Amino acid sequence: MRRSGAAVTTLLTVAAATLLFWFFLHQISSVWLDVALRPEVRDALEAGMNDQRKLRDLDPQQRAQYRQRFEENRRLVNRIDVIRMSREAMLRRFELALVVVFATSLLAAALVWWLRQRREAERRRREYVERLASWQEAARRHAHEIRTPLTAARLEADRLASIARSGATSEEVDRAVESVFEELDRLSRFTREFSSFAALGEPVLRSEPLDRIVGEFCATFANAWPSIVLRWEPARAPVPVLADRDMLRQVLVNLCTNSAKASAADVTFTVQRDGDRVLLDVRDSGTGIAPSVRPRIFDPYVTTRKIGEGMGLGLAISRKILLDHGGDLTLVETGAQGTMFRLAFVAG
Amino acid sequence: MVKRALFALLLLLPAAFASAQQQPAFATNGNAVTIALPASVLQHAAVRKQLGSGLTTTFIVIARSRDRTAEGGARVEVRYDLWDEIYHVRRFEAGRRIDQQRIESLEKLEQWWRTPSRIISLNGQRIVLDVELRVLPFSGAEEEDARRWLSLPDRTTSLVDVLIGTTISAKPIVSFRWSAEVVRR
Repeated sequence: MRRSGAAVTTLLTVAAATLLFWFFLHQISSVWLDVALRPEVRDALEAGMNDQRKLRDLDPQQRAQYRQRFEENRRLVNRIDVIRMSREAMLRRFELALVVVFATSLLAAALVWWLRQRREAERRRREYVERLASWQEAARRHAHEIRTPLTAARLEADRLASIARSGATSEEVDRAVESVFEELDRLSRFTREFSSFAALGEPVLRSEPLDRIVGEFCATFANAWPSIVLRWEPARAPVPVLADRDMLRQVLVNLCTNSAKASAADVTFTVQRDGDRVLLDVRDSGTGIAPSVRPRIFDPYVTTRKIGEGMGLGLAISRKILLDHGGDLTLVETGAQGTMFRLAFVAG
Repeated sequence: MVKRALFALLLLLPAAFASAQQQPAFATNGNAVTIALPASVLQHAAVRKQLGSGLTTTFIVIARSRDRTAEGGARVEVRYDLWDEIYHVRRFEAGRRIDQQRIESLEKLEQWWRTPSRIISLNGQRIVLDVELRVLPFSGAEEEDARRWLSLPDRTTSLVDVLIGTTISAKPIVSFRWSAEVVRR
């Protein structure tokens, strides 16, 4: 895609150079030069001179007047002759100038192309380095998430073996076994998070009233995040969108979870129409997203949270869901006053 | 064999004669070398055509000593007045006008043409000269006039007009070269 864009730019630059060349070439047909180089113009002037001479002979009284007209023509003929005699040199100069103009234009096009290539290579390198850093961070988080329950489960298993050998009561054995299961459940939850990202299904799209879904969500999840209050502004009329209700709910949960982690006091939902799209703005009053991660906020494994507090998949999953809906999830603004995401849907 | 040699001689004679005709006459006058240009220059087809154009045909003589220690020249301008049908002629030596005349006919012009012009100083007894005669189709004033005309401020001047204006210059329509050894008399 980028390569074809660069090719189009190069083509446009060459076209501009050709246009410049054409414009310059057409300057040659300047009216005065045309007049000067047309043989019929010279012939007409010469005929005029002969006429004045004949008139002088016929009417000697007006000699001065005829002479004046004759001299005017003669001066013009002289100028034309001078220009015509310099024609070869002129043409050479023209050709040289045209070649210089064309070569300069092509050189400029080549320079632009080269600079674009360099910038593209630099961008690719930077992206790779950033991706590498994300992968490193993800590897660290994976190791932590797996190692912690494994270590705990092993300790509990050791303890279970120890108390079994020492003739412990069945209650003590049960507690130890439960503890091992807890750690294994934790591991299981962790792998489920990946499964949900890896095996994200296709949405089943139906015409759903977005304002009503949001209203129900606010009612159902009112106590899910004790630190935040969910608000929504009901639309005047039903706003149907093509959506998978369950997946949409998952997106809203992810956004609210992030808001809660960003110390938001409230989250406000606003629905509005925008042509053939419907927009759902989700605004919180949290601390905002760190500038360092803003450009990559929707990339998987991008998070500012500490290891053990999440894998940074929530927004990646949410955006994937919205894209599968034919819409998009975008970050509209973020800062000390809070963050606003916009969910775009196709009107149903 | 003799017949063949005579035939070759007959063939070469006109060329040799023509060559001799085109040689200018060099002489000394005080401490200067003079040159009398041959009439064959004026009879050259390109020169003859140019003489009748109404432009000022300019003849520039450049003389250099073979050892490159001395240099000089002269200039002759001939303009045919198409109204009065006479030739206006001017002769310059060392950049100074020394002669200006109105000549009624080509025959009289050829007579005037043979008037010697001083071209270079003579310091010793003899000098070996390389002389070049360049025939320019118009004068510097006419060149300047055409250039000004192309770039008059009261009309739109394109970049090309400017380019042309700076390209106009008189190139020789024909050149002649001679060499001669001149001895003081």
